[in-house]
Amino acid sequence: MATAVTAQEKRTAELNVLARKQRSLWGDAMYRLFRNRAALVGLVVIAVAALVAIFAPVLAPYGPLEQHGKDGLMEPIWTKFFGSKYTDPAYLLGSDELGRDILSRLMYSSRVSLIIGFVPVSIVLAIGLTVGMLAGYVGGVLDDFLMRVTDVVYAFPDLLFVIIIVATLRGTGLGDAYDGLLVIFVGIAVVNWVGVARLVRGQVLSVKNREFVEAARAVGAGPGRIMRKHIFPNILAPVIVTVAFAIPGAMLTESVLSFLGIGIRPPTPTWGVMINEGFIVFSTSPWPVLLPSLCISIVLLAFTFVGDGLRDALDPRSKM
Amino acid sequence: MLRYVIRRLLLIIPTMFFVALITFSLAHLAPGNPFDKNPNRPMPQETIDRISRFYGVDQPIPVQFITYLGNILHGDLGISFTRRTPVVDVIGQGIGTTFQLGIGALAFALAFSIPLGIVSALKQNTMIDYLSMLVATIGTTIPGFVLAIFLIYIFGVNLHLLPFVGWGSWQHMVMPMFVLGLGAGGFLTRITRASMLEAIRQDYVRTARSKGLQERAVIVGHALKNALIPIATIIGPATAGLITGSFIIESLFNVPGMGRLYVISILARDYPIIMGTTLLYAFLIMIANLTVDIVYGVLDPRIKVA
Repeated sequence: MATAVTAQEKRTAELNVLARKQRSLWGDAMYRLFRNRAALVGLVVIAVAALVAIFAPVLAPYGPLEQHGKDGLMEPIWTKFFGSKYTDPAYLLGSDELGRDILSRLMYSSRVSLIIGFVPVSIVLAIGLTVGMLAGYVGGVLDDFLMRVTDVVYAFPDLLFVIIIVATLRGTGLGDAYDGLLVIFVGIAVVNWVGVARLVRGQVLSVKNREFVEAARAVGAGPGRIMRKHIFPNILAPVIVTVAFAIPGAMLTESVLSFLGIGIRPPTPTWGVMINEGFIVFSTSPWPVLLPSLCISIVLLAFTFVGDGLRDALDPRSKM
Repeated sequence: MLRYVIRRLLLIIPTMFFVALITFSLAHLAPGNPFDKNPNRPMPQETIDRISRFYGVDQPIPVQFITYLGNILHGDLGISFTRRTPVVDVIGQGIGTTFQLGIGALAFALAFSIPLGIVSALKQNTMIDYLSMLVATIGTTIPGFVLAIFLIYIFGVNLHLLPFVGWGSWQHMVMPMFVLGLGAGGFLTRITRASMLEAIRQDYVRTARSKGLQERAVIVGHALKNALIPIATIIGPATAGLITGSFIIESLFNVPGMGRLYVISILARDYPIIMGTTLLYAFLIMIANLTVDIVYGVLDPRIKVA
């Protein structure tokens, strides 16, 4: 009798230990991510940028295209302490050469950047996951096709390919739609889905002959169910990391294109457009260029910190 | 090995064919051409015909493509729409400058990133490590043109230390090379650190230590030698990065190289130049990737080439 009780107690104790330890892989990853200070700072910055983007019409003191002809090229208010005579409390961060309020334009710009960060990346993810899973699991013609496409796309540097697509489609209806936003989506999607598909394919190949997949097949799961329920969750970690870096990548692409003058059409404000427009007067009045440059840098760094944090959290063995 | 190299070299041909096909199709998909630029002063029809015949654009598109491919084979990339000179000559004028810039940037990148990567691996999780990783992250994350803007502001506009337009003297080269090199170097620092961290935990390093070698000999002779192998893989991405970087940096600093030429041609819709340069870039990148794979196979016999 006494021994039975101890055995049961032991069992309860074991269960307690198990109960306390019960944290999923994702829970662990989140825990590690939130303990990473740089990633946390990144998340806060992204959250602030997202709020500013959403509430830009409420927060911005002026409309992004509103011109105040007489108040061109005002300097940010702090330059007053360094002897600038061209400041005005009405324009906290100054104004550009057409007298548009820089603060308002910066706020509206964050909208385009976030859209560019998330929309094309979602398209890339959808296409890349589908093609990569099918190519890896089913193989055959689709797999051959994917590998050949990859060879060609890898021969172009990403940005070069996007530039060619955007530049040649610029004059068409597609190129004009939404101030040039749509063609940038297309360019980024066309170039980047291949990388995701290739990654997913490799992951699927490494997972598909593992025992748990075989077990699922043995109990009669069909290919669709195996791909969705068994393979997909197991290949997700590297995909998430790739996507986390694809978002700032897409934003960077937009800003480079706009800076070169083939991205978003002025006067629609984006940080790249603002730099492009302000560059003519850069050596005499640098603020219309410096401030958007600063915004791009901060947001890109924030996304990179989060990406690094996610990689460390999801794959603690990686030392990159 | 030889068979592998030959197969890879042969694979360049179909890939180049598709690259040519894609750029050619895109270029012909695009509406308009540089001759109909001025709607107020329309050209007489016979002039348009004459020009079209001169550039061969009166032929059906598939015929144009085949002619184009045939011409490439004997080194003729067509004639620039805007400059009226052969594309090969136009590229030839800029390529030297771009190589100069690229090699300078690469040299700078290697010079700072390998020592930085090694030091931060040896002092893992110290202040030095965090600082050099921060430098590396900034180098890879902040876009080159933004970095260039900050530098121009500080050293060009405010301090008047360096010129920021043109090319020629060493002063002109400092900022473009620095900016271009920092991106590649940041990436390289991370790779060096990661592979050094891997190497110093290997058995042969422990063996070297336990037989009483000095720390210096262990690090340089044993760990570093092996850690440098993965660094060879950066040649491919570095080439691509330097090429795309050169578009922006050359445009920004007004460097008369291929990158700036490319951007100008895109804005002017000068398709012969766009296509010629694209093909050249694709070719360079494929050669770089091939070199990586071969060098990797030679340095590390454990890598099996398939």
